[in-house]
Amino acid sequence: MSPVRLRGEGVEKRYGRVAALRGIDFDIAAGESVAILGANGAGKSSLLKILAGLSRPSSGTFEARDAGTSAETLGREALRARVGYVGHATLLYGELTARENLAFAAGLHGQRPSRAALDAVLEEFALEDVAERRADTFSRGMAQRLAIARAVVHGPSLLLLDEPFTGLDEASGERLQARLLSQRDDGAGAARTLVVVTHDPRRAVALADRALLVHRGDIRAAPVRGDDGFTAEALRERLVALAGNAEVAA
Amino acid sequence: MNVALSLLWKDLVTEWRSRDRIVAMTVFSFLIVIVFQFAFPEMEQEELARLAPGLLWVTYVFAAVIGLGRTFATELENEAMTALALAPGTRGWIFLGKATATWLLITLVQVLTGLVFALFFRVDLSVGLGGSLAIVAFANVAICSIGTLLSAMSVRSRFREVLLPVLLIPTLIPVLAAAVRGTASSLAGESVGLGLLQPLIVIGGIYLVLSFLLFDYVLDE
Repeated sequence: MSPVRLRGEGVEKRYGRVAALRGIDFDIAAGESVAILGANGAGKSSLLKILAGLSRPSSGTFEARDAGTSAETLGREALRARVGYVGHATLLYGELTARENLAFAAGLHGQRPSRAALDAVLEEFALEDVAERRADTFSRGMAQRLAIARAVVHGPSLLLLDEPFTGLDEASGERLQARLLSQRDDGAGAARTLVVVTHDPRRAVALADRALLVHRGDIRAAPVRGDDGFTAEALRERLVALAGNAEVAA
Repeated sequence: MNVALSLLWKDLVTEWRSRDRIVAMTVFSFLIVIVFQFAFPEMEQEELARLAPGLLWVTYVFAAVIGLGRTFATELENEAMTALALAPGTRGWIFLGKATATWLLITLVQVLTGLVFALFFRVDLSVGLGGSLAIVAFANVAICSIGTLLSAMSVRSRFREVLLPVLLIPTLIPVLAAAVRGTASSLAGESVGLGLLQPLIVIGGIYLVLSFLLFDYVLDE
């Protein structure tokens, strides 16, 4: 599957009278890795849900295009077929084993992977020893690895991660980061488009080529790798400044 | 179709391991039968024949409401509903997998409840057994179709425990009327022909097709 390009113009998302996104523009190139940073309630998850095709913008336009056949805009169904998504929660079924969770996730995409194919995914995420264990017996770190394995088992070309490091200790976070870096291609040699929502500028710099700093539903800055502003320290300072300005404004 | 089969497999496996829906529905049904036993003690056989189909279907519907209430509640744990919403293709297949699993569970509970009801009220269920089973099967198509749709619609609401029965029971009135009439005929030893099954087949068919088509809009935020 070719990677996906994501473009939005004037994207606004409202929940009743509350505006989560206020007419933002963005263009995420096919195969690009982007981190979305911002404080709680900034609109990061709302943006990710629009990118996943889980939610429609209240106004503005959002389109996803296949990099291979860029003339055609992908419909929401076609987009969903290409998305691997990890949300705040793991999206797993506690009563199912690790292997069964993966088989079910692939089944939802109309696939019936062989046992060997599932073994390969389990091994990639260091879950081969617990393949037959129920997911509700997993530690937070193991569950998060399985959640990401579930998101990639059908070979998506667009990987969307909503705060995947939440609740992990430093060592588990480092291991997960290494595994996510290895997921930047889809296993068939094509680059995946990766969008990761995180609070942690260190993770953003490690995983992404560009950062979108979201504040109160607006994109306030978009530094790219190589810019002075694309370091963990600079991103942290920028986020603190945004939060400080918000407090002053309030 | 693969999606529907995956959902059916997943729902049956998780239910087998947790048994939360089947136990809740069965215990609740048995309790209602016991309550009816106390409410209508020493009933004459003629009066029993008149009331039994209604009592049985009231029990069935209340148990179904419990089961349907849990159909999508299990998907809220770990936000698994999001994974369902991300499945490509027609979401009607998700509905079909869910509704089929619920149909199997509810039918099993109804068979067990029927046996307990027969024991408590001394009703001979072997009279017109085939007809009664056909009525249960077709009525359950309607109950599970519209119930699965409404369960998915109400599951994210804060008032889901109240909302589901309030929405569901009015839509089941024509189903109940036809099912009670058919069960009464069946228990009276009359043959259950197409005339008695037809309303259930038509209503079930309408609810099934409508729910399949409308389910596409239910999973969106």
